[in-house]
Amino acid sequence: MGKQITFDKKEDLPLVTSSFESMAWNKTGDWRYLKPIFQDKTPPCNNSCPAGEDVQGYLYLAQKKKYKEAWNLIKEENPLPAVCGRACMHPCEDSCNRGEFDEPINISAIERFLADNAIKQGYILPPIKRKKKKEKIAIIGSGPAGLSCAYQLKRIGYQVTIFEALPALGGMLRIGIPDYRLPKDILEHEIDTILELGIQIQTKARIDKETIAKDMKDFHAIFIATGCHKSIRLGIAGGDSRSVISGLDFLKDIHFGKKVPLGKKVAVIGGGNTAIDTARLALRLGAKPFILYRRTPAEMPAIKSEVIQAENEGIEISYLTAPTRIISKGNRVTALECVKNRTGPPDSSGNKTLIEIKDSHFPIEVDNIISAIGEIPDISILPEEVDLENRLIVTDESLKTTMNGVFAGGDVKSPLRSIAHAIGSGKRAAIAIDRYLKAKTLEDVMDTIRIGDGPGLSMRSYLQRDDPSRRKTKQVVRYKDINIDYFEQKPRHAVKTLSIEERVSSKKEVHLGFPCETALQEAGRCFNCGVCNHCDNCYIFCSDLAVIKHKGKTRNTIDYDHCKGCGVCIEECPRDAMYMEREEK
Amino acid sequence: MSSTMPMQEYISPGHMACPGCGAVLAMRYILNVLGEKTVVVIPASCWSVIDGVFPYSAVRVPLFHTAFETAASVASGIKAGLDIQGDTETTVLAFAGDGATFDIGFQALSGAAERNEDFIYVCYDNEAYMNTGVQRSSATPYGAWTTTTPVRHPKDRPKKRILEIMAAHEIPYAATASIAYPDDLSAKVKKAKGIYGTKFLHIFSPCPTGWKSKSSQIIKIARLAVHTKVFPLYEVENGFTFHINMEPKNIPVREYLKLQGRFAHLSEEDIADIQRQVDEEWEHLLKRALY
Ligand SMILES: Cc1cc2nc3c(=O)[nH]c(=O)nc-3n(C[C@H](O)[C@H](O)[C@H](O)COP(=O)(O)OP(=O)(O)OC[C@H]3O[C@@H](n4cnc5c(N)ncnc54)[C@H](O)[C@@H]3O)c2cc1C
Ligand SMILES: Cc1ncc(C[n+]2csc(CCOP(=O)(O)OP(=O)(O)O)c2C)c(N)n1
Ligand code: SF4
Ligand SMILES: [Mg+2]
Repeated sequence: MGKQITFDKKEDLPLVTSSFESMAWNKTGDWRYLKPIFQDKTPPCNNSCPAGEDVQGYLYLAQKKKYKEAWNLIKEENPLPAVCGRACMHPCEDSCNRGEFDEPINISAIERFLADNAIKQGYILPPIKRKKKKEKIAIIGSGPAGLSCAYQLKRIGYQVTIFEALPALGGMLRIGIPDYRLPKDILEHEIDTILELGIQIQTKARIDKETIAKDMKDFHAIFIATGCHKSIRLGIAGGDSRSVISGLDFLKDIHFGKKVPLGKKVAVIGGGNTAIDTARLALRLGAKPFILYRRTPAEMPAIKSEVIQAENEGIEISYLTAPTRIISKGNRVTALECVKNRTGPPDSSGNKTLIEIKDSHFPIEVDNIISAIGEIPDISILPEEVDLENRLIVTDESLKTTMNGVFAGGDVKSPLRSIAHAIGSGKRAAIAIDRYLKAKTLEDVMDTIRIGDGPGLSMRSYLQRDDPSRRKTKQVVRYKDINIDYFEQKPRHAVKTLSIEERVSSKKEVHLGFPCETALQEAGRCFNCGVCNHCDNCYIFCSDLAVIKHKGKTRNTIDYDHCKGCGVCIEECPRDAMYMEREEK
Repeated sequence: MSSTMPMQEYISPGHMACPGCGAVLAMRYILNVLGEKTVVVIPASCWSVIDGVFPYSAVRVPLFHTAFETAASVASGIKAGLDIQGDTETTVLAFAGDGATFDIGFQALSGAAERNEDFIYVCYDNEAYMNTGVQRSSATPYGAWTTTTPVRHPKDRPKKRILEIMAAHEIPYAATASIAYPDDLSAKVKKAKGIYGTKFLHIFSPCPTGWKSKSSQIIKIARLAVHTKVFPLYEVENGFTFHINMEPKNIPVREYLKLQGRFAHLSEEDIADIQRQVDEEWEHLLKRALY
């Protein structure tokens, strides 16, 4: 094809003008001054995931009913999808472009479906073939940060030991988040898939500066992920009374099966997740809890949807209400004196200042007081060489502390306290430790492994388990880049929840998962922002027939010999998985 | 979008069309449905050039270049020749521009349609005589600039309602289609192929060169033509049965006009006027479709 014909003699000419060949010899690519290029970009969901999940990637696989592959893809970055599918604050959904079109994709429900499905089907991770390394690494703390770091280090090939103070692994996932949000058999299953890789564990092993100095000499690196487990004390008169329970202790004790004698009227003080979870758990134990929070609803740090659930369950929340004094009779608390606040102008940190309303003190009758006003790290265990700022460990970008060979992540290092942030920092530390042990820097690989301009890193890219030709550019695809003519409005599928009666009379999980069909439909709403999903618009609308299709999963290519550079493919790509470049002439 | 259109191609790259030519897509989508057993007749038009130069052709089925006004008569003749040979399989496709269809070749077309000659006649409509440098045709829309309707005297007559004229011949099948909706277009070609007699397809084929629009936006413009009701997708069976194939989203015509330099001179009043005309024509079509 594409041959050029010459007639040597007049007699060779046909009698009637007729054609013998196609026009393919004519290299119309010369006409081009703009060059279309296929190039995947970063979807906003991926960009905003602190754990570095390839959200769009697994939604795409789910669209194709490849649920196992989708689960595998999440597991490359995050060992705890069943946990995150339930309790992650899903910043991915906040940034989802579909939110500007109709409603964001219900990413968490799909993640949960994929993870639960994997448990149900008994999927196991495909083994990764890597040389075993001789270096040993100690992980202190088995919350999401420690587990994620251990998992990724093991996948890289290191020998890993986790030291955990409590009798069981999981950190806040185990002792903080109650069963009605995260059933413990689910958590255990995911922890087991991590340990199955061959990770040593030592439970009831509380580490401190002495043990670090004495027993950890054999380790080539240490990752500190001890979280924030010290409850802040109520600084009011009577606040030291033994009958004031700490929220975190309450959650922990209930988890470990201890009896906590509760009356009916339980006052929970605070506005974070601990306060909400404490109140909701107390409700399930038969109490009639209520919450006192000194600031406004907008300032409440707890997850919004959880606050709404608590209110739906009948838990009353009094805002701008601060306790001032505990009134006890003998050892028994009888009442709590409170004061009403009003808000003043914002202070230097942007928080509204609180002004006590004069003479607004009032007593509330209570049987118990649970203080859940916040948790801080226990810094007494840390070696002196580890620098602190605002009671948090100081590190550089690679999570390296000021002590040689010691890294830190999760709640003990960052004020951004969430499961996804903890998982992300565990992964970052694993990569940074690998770089450190190879005497290389994290910075050198950042360009390859950083997802868009967001917080997450890609382990898949770090381990070169992805296709380098399909690596995404850092450019984040926004709603304006989507060709919405190719999409129809479809409402988001919501998850079903237990009835209020069923909730308060049991510790059963409140949210029910998606059935397979719903997960499939919801995944089908995804735009696949910035990533080619083989829709073939580029091929269909090319008037130069210069887009070439290939068998299987291979991406279309462009025949630059003939592409005239009209740009239709760029305009009609529904998801902006292409760009135009000026032709150098 | 994942199309249902067959992907066996009958046009080679290297053809001579401008970048972003809608007429190529029209031919491409049609041949993908009609397949190998097709004879194409092309009167003088851009497509005479697009196909290439002797001794080459960008089209991989037999193709006959003919005089400007003769597409329908030549197609009738070729069909008669095939009949004599006992070839009942081959489809004859006349593929003509709007000038060749609405104006100069109209007498031949009307005669053939009245005789119910068995071929598919496609008018690829780029709304002017493009090959000779953008002169107005009776397909040029009201208000548009062409070299013969300059900005000071833009076209002051509405576009001829060719589909209704062709349907009035009571031919078995007449339909509009657009390069923005290849699946709808393919389905219509498939339907036409299965019907005996004269089938007329009017295909909206943007021309970035003559419309002074961005070559990248031809599909967008074609899509907007449908959804502003400027170019509704509908079909007429046996002269009377009208059927609208796609519900327009009712986007203001301004959105369509503003992407094209040939409408850049229009004032707000002109645009309002065009909107009124478009609405009226749509009402007119609706009445027929309900009838
Ligand atoms: C009640 C509650 C509910 C929450 N709900 C959510 C939610 O829904 N979504 C969300 O994203 N985030 C939630 N969070 C926040 C989230 O749980 C934390 O940000 C996350 O668990 C931090 O992970 P981490 O690994 O840094 O620490 P942790 O999970 O706190 O784990 C630290 C581990 O280290 C152990 N440890 C501590 N000191 C030592 C020592 N000296 N030696 C050995 N081991 C030690 C601890 O026992 C613990 O197991 C919640 C927090 C709380 C308290
Ligand atoms: C009888 C005759 N008059 C004029 C011409 C010159 N001519 C060649 S192509 C063309 C324009 C064709 O316009 P249209 O049918 O709309 O097709 P387009 O070029 O726009 O695709 C003209 C006027 C001719 N070839 N024959
Ligand atoms: S539509 Fe899909 S790819 Fe785009 S942001 Fe939402 S989830 Fe991500
Ligand atoms: Mg024309």
